Formats: sequence, C-alpha cells, structure tokens
Amino acid sequence: MDTIVASASVIAAALAVGLAAIGPGIGQGNASGQAVAGIARQPEAEGKIRGTLLLTLAFMESLTIYGLVISLVLLFANPFS
Amino acid sequence: MEMINALNVLNSFSLAEIEVGNHFYWEIGNLKIHGQVFLTSWFVIAILILASLAAIRNVQIQKAPSGIQNFMEFVLESLRDLARAQLGEKEYRPWLPFIGTLFLFIFVSNWSGALIPWKIIEIPNSELAAPTNDINTTVALALLTSIAYFYAGFSKKGLGYFANYIEPIPILLPIKILEDFTKPLSLSFRLFGNILADELVVAVLVFLVPLFVPLPLMALGLFTSAIQALVFATLAGAYIHEAIEGYDEEHE
Amino acid sequence: MFDFDATLPLMAVQFLILMFLLNQIFYKPLNNALDERADYIRKNQTEARERLSEAKELASQYEKQLAEARKESLQIIAAAKAEAKKIAEEQIAEAQKEAQAKREEAAKEIDAQKQAAMQSLEQQVDVLSRQILEKLLGPELVK
Repeated sequence: MDTIVASASVIAAALAVGLAAIGPGIGQGNASGQAVAGIARQPEAEGKIRGTLLLTLAFMESLTIYGLVISLVLLFANPFS
Repeated sequence: MEMINALNVLNSFSLAEIEVGNHFYWEIGNLKIHGQVFLTSWFVIAILILASLAAIRNVQIQKAPSGIQNFMEFVLESLRDLARAQLGEKEYRPWLPFIGTLFLFIFVSNWSGALIPWKIIEIPNSELAAPTNDINTTVALALLTSIAYFYAGFSKKGLGYFANYIEPIPILLPIKILEDFTKPLSLSFRLFGNILADELVVAVLVFLVPLFVPLPLMALGLFTSAIQALVFATLAGAYIHEAIEGYDEEHE
Repeated sequence: MFDFDATLPLMAVQFLILMFLLNQIFYKPLNNALDERADYIRKNQTEARERLSEAKELASQYEKQLAEARKESLQIIAAAKAEAKKIAEEQIAEAQKEAQAKREEAAKEIDAQKQAAMQSLEQQVDVLSRQILEKLLGPELVK
C-alpha cells in the first residue's frame, strides 16, 4: 500500500471519530441537562424521563458510531489499499 | 489486510488478539458463508428455544407462575409493553412475534458476545463473537424490518400505501424515498457499530491492562448492548406503526 | 469487514424460522396463559365482588330484622308497663273509693249515734228537770 494512502487513512480515521463525537457530545449534554431539570421539577416522572433519555442518548450515540464505522473501514477494510 | 500488520503490533501478542474482518469461511456449493456467525447464532437460538420450551413445559394458569415460566412471562410482558407503546393497543398483537423476536435475538446475541468468553474456543482463521458483530447479520435484520414495514403498509392499505409518500406535501417525496434506504442503513450500522465498538474497546483495554481495568467498560458494554437491542426493536415498531397509520390518522 | 455473501440471506431465513418457532412455542402459549390468567383473575374478582355485595346485603337485612325485633320488644315492654300502670291506678282508685265510702258510713253512724245519744240525753234532761221541779215545787204544782 501507498504510504501516503496509509497515513491519510489513519488521519482520516482519527478525524472521523473525533469530529463525529463533537455533535453528539453537545446533544447528549443538552438532553441530560434538560432531563435532570425535568426530574427536579417533577420528581414523580423520573422513570419515564429516564427511559426516554436513555433511548435518545442511544440515538445520539449512534451518530458517533457511524463515524467510528467509517474509521474502522479506513483502518481495517480500506478500499484504497 | 496488510494494513493491520502495518499499523499495529497487536497480533504479535497472544494474550489478546484483535481481529476484524477475518472470517471462518464455510463453502456450500459455491456460496461462501461466515461459519463463526452461524455457530454463535445457533447457540443464541438454542438458548431462546430451550428457555421457551422450559417455560411452557407445564403452564400454570390458576396459580402464580414460578421459576422459568415466571421469568419468561415477565419477558413477554415487557415485549408486549414495548410493542404496545409503539403500535398501540389495537395493532400490536400480530406484530408482537416479529418485534419481540428481534429484541430477544439481538439482546441474547449481544449479551452472549459480552458475557461468554468466545475467544477461548479456537476456530481456524477467525474468532467467535456475537452474531450481531457481523455486518451480514445486522443488515439481514434491518432488511427484514424494511420488508416488514412495507408488508404492513401494503396489507393494511393496499396500493394506497404509496399515498404515504406524498401525504403531507408532495415535495417531500424524494426525502421519503431516501428514507426507505436510510432506515435499514442506519438500523444496521447502529447495531453493528455499537457492538463492534464495544468489543474493540474491551479488546484494546484487555490488551493494554489485562486485569480489572476493562471491567467497567464491560459493564458499560452490557448496558449499551441492551439499549441497542431495545432501540432496534423500538425503531422497528415505530417504522411499522408509521406505515400502518398514515399521516391523517396520526394527527387526529 | 464489509463482505456481504450468502450469510445475509441465510441469516434472514434463519431469523424468520426462529420467529415462527418462537411464535409457536413462546408467544402463543404464554400469551394465552397471560390472557387466560387475566380472565381468570377478572372473573374471580367479579365473583368475589358479587359475593361481597351479597354478604353485605344479607348483613344489612339481618340488621334491619334485628332493629325491627328490638323496636317490637320495646313496644311490648312499653305496652306492658302502661297496662300495669293502668291496673295499679285503677286498684288504687277503687281502694280509695272504698275507703271513702267506709269513712262516710262510719261518719253517718257516728252522727246517728250522736243524735240518739242527744235525744236520750234530752229526754233524761226533761225527766230530770221535771224531777228537780217536783222536788223544788212539789208534785202538785208541776202539772
């Protein structure tokens, strides 16, 4: 394999995960904060809020996972090698 | 695959190996299949069937259930709640087996991957892992989900199902068509990526610090796997509900 | 990593087979069990509720009867008391009347005897006064 391609792939893989983590990080922080505020305001709804929160967090998490999949492809199944 | 050898030295340690993309191929006719995926999936299926058989061996109705029957009834109640929450009281019954089996299969697969030390069992050329660790499995499940919601839509409305595509405003038609492709794509990649990421993270940590340190991450992995199974089943239910209900009824 | 092959359709078929199997051995029987138990519990509950209401009705009936009996007994007691009072009063009144009558009779007798005594006394007074006069004036003068 080309050294250039290899190094570019490694950098791209790192960037893919790193950049993909930014948005979901902000979003998860927002969602968790709002959920805590909601629980503080209405403690009896805690169970429902927690369930919904976990589900939403999983959805946001999957955005990072897409980036991770891309980086895994670049590392382990590079189409340009 | 030279990439791995070029990029890391992981494979030179025997303590923890990280293998991605190596498969234990079986050849049937001139078809290649991934043997390790089938081995573990058979294990999962065997667990599910044995548990069900044990649960229904002598079903007690008039007394409080006990033991495995109690547990499986609890499982079934949870699945019913899951399906009911997505599909509503009227529609959920015929779809309960599909959504429930999706959840059970994915859940047991994920947890078997996280809890059972498959890597101890040696098979040539690859290693055993959760069946959902393979993109083929997740894509198969996601495509089944797509087929399921198309089937639901057509069996409920016939060709009127296509009205769903132009229902709120026709300008959304391309997006709606695109959605049909992104739904299985995101479903399968979400599941695959999460499970693979869990196993990779645990494997990397085991490689770095073999004792105790990976335990919290394994616990997190268990949690994530359960949530992913829940997410997959929930989304399948939501898609089917979307296909059944249509725009008008939803906003009444 | 992304090598799709015959694993995909075989997995799908396998999943469908698993679904049908589980439908036969897990969902159907346990769904039936859950539904039947729910029915059973509901039936028992309605039955129990019916029985409870029945028992309550019986209890209230008994209570009503009890109250009635108590009222009746009270009435009987009151009637008996009233009768006893009446009888006593009658007897008292009778006795008083009798006593009155006896008293009056006695008073009359006393009066009569008194008069008789007075009369005899008057006669005696007459005789005595005559004798006194005779003694004083002599028998010839008196006539």
